[in-house]
Amino acid sequence: MAISRTQRVISILWPSFLVAAGATIVFFSIFDPAALLALTPYAELDRLAGYSIGFFAFWLLAAASSLLTCYFQRPTTPRRNVAP
Amino acid sequence: MNDPAQVHDLEQELFVKREKIYPREVHGLFAWLRNAAALTLLGVYYGLPWLPWQGRQAVLFDLPARKFYIFGMTFWPQDFFYLAALLIIAALSLFFFTALAGRLWCGYACPQTVWTEIFLWIERRIEGDRPQQMRLDRAPWSARKIAIKGSKHAAWLALALWTGFTFVGYFTPIVELGHKVITLSTGPWESFWLLFYGLATYGNAGWLREQVCIYMCPYARFQSAMFDKDTLIISYDPARGEPRGPRRRGLRPASVGLGDCVNCKMCVQVCPTGIDIRQGLQYQCIGCAACVDACDDIMERMGYAKGLIRYTTERAVTGGRTHLIRPRIVIYAMLLAALVTAFVVGLTQRLPVGLDVIRDRNALFRETNEGMIENVYTLKILNKDARTHRYRLSASGIDGLALLSDAAEHTLPAGAVLEVPVTLRADPAVLARRSTDVTFHLDAIDEPRIATTEAARFLGPGGLPR
Repeated sequence: MAISRTQRVISILWPSFLVAAGATIVFFSIFDPAALLALTPYAELDRLAGYSIGFFAFWLLAAASSLLTCYFQRPTTPRRNVAP
Repeated sequence: MNDPAQVHDLEQELFVKREKIYPREVHGLFAWLRNAAALTLLGVYYGLPWLPWQGRQAVLFDLPARKFYIFGMTFWPQDFFYLAALLIIAALSLFFFTALAGRLWCGYACPQTVWTEIFLWIERRIEGDRPQQMRLDRAPWSARKIAIKGSKHAAWLALALWTGFTFVGYFTPIVELGHKVITLSTGPWESFWLLFYGLATYGNAGWLREQVCIYMCPYARFQSAMFDKDTLIISYDPARGEPRGPRRRGLRPASVGLGDCVNCKMCVQVCPTGIDIRQGLQYQCIGCAACVDACDDIMERMGYAKGLIRYTTERAVTGGRTHLIRPRIVIYAMLLAALVTAFVVGLTQRLPVGLDVIRDRNALFRETNEGMIENVYTLKILNKDARTHRYRLSASGIDGLALLSDAAEHTLPAGAVLEVPVTLRADPAVLARRSTDVTFHLDAIDEPRIATTEAARFLGPGGLPR
């Protein structure tokens, strides 16, 4: 069954958005973004920037995974019939 | 079929283009309930950030400071447990109410429904009722159409941006945020989230509407797993309604060989997801009961009994008796009661103090000139209470264990964190092993209820021949 391009794009971006929101809450309730940023060259960024970057990083990761899932769901090319 | 252009055309055909739904305005008991629920929830959402409480915002999720204020209570990242428990309770309540009464959440309380309702209300005030809206959309573009459409979108955007502003107001003190917005000096992330949430509201409630429920909502996909034959659903009564057909008012249906359904299609016109409830239970049905109100109105005008479309159960429609109490309901209810009790007890017993122990990593232990063994720790004291407290530290676990610190007591203002370097000193004669369990005690001098302990290890040369 054919699935429209819009629906495919939504099915990559939307579930990953939901997962990223959950992951952000869990991750940052355990780790303090200020403490994590202190270990990087970006120590001057504040916590709000840390949360936002974290959220978008999670979204990107989850979207990459959804993208690969969608990609591998496509049927492989059928074997070519070679004439005898 | 090998022509790529042909395949493309076929794909386009298979994907049914969405037809815009124009839900007709409906009046009645359930419409009233739905409006009451929507107004209450919107009132809470828009009003809560403005509520002051003991000199600060009553509900403030202060992310930059990693503290959540909810009325008199302050939550720290260490209290994540409570958030997790709350989410589990919320999920279980959803299961419980779904099993009991179907999609109550979708029909009355879901933000998507609530904001769609208010956006529809704005649309009706500006564009007029359903026939007027359809006529306007069919009409060619004119100055009048641009003016009407423009003012509708302006009103929608204004409400959406206010929604985004309120959302950010839960995370940044809203009065300050208001000043910043007026002077156009909001921070980059504040501006971003304000616009992001605002535009998401505009898109979801203004444009996407029922598509969010049908294509994007995970709950809509799995809610049917909670359904059984005794779950309250909205259903058309085919035994009473069929065969459907139009007839003159005042005729008894049986006399013209028809059922009670006059096929007026009101139930279809009021449906916010555009389905025909007479085709049976469909997963697009969000249980808003608009069709119940619409049909009851028609039945009343025809002089027939109400309830051709009504809240009922699958078992009742097929002639059985509905069982309210069934294993699924009992199990959900018991789990829910246990969790809520545990949550409330936990919350009332929650101590507004925290103690963390960090061992000095450089030296395992050291020996003093007098031959005593010393271990060094850093203690982190958290005052999670809303007022200042004085604390005393002590340690136990070894006979004659002494705690050395630069101050006998520590005073911490509300919400403060203090790191205290501490040395424990013990006589090696009483140390039987290399590692001994010790306990740090933290007591508030001014309030005996507030006391906590934290376990640690005391290392020594123990076990070595002397």
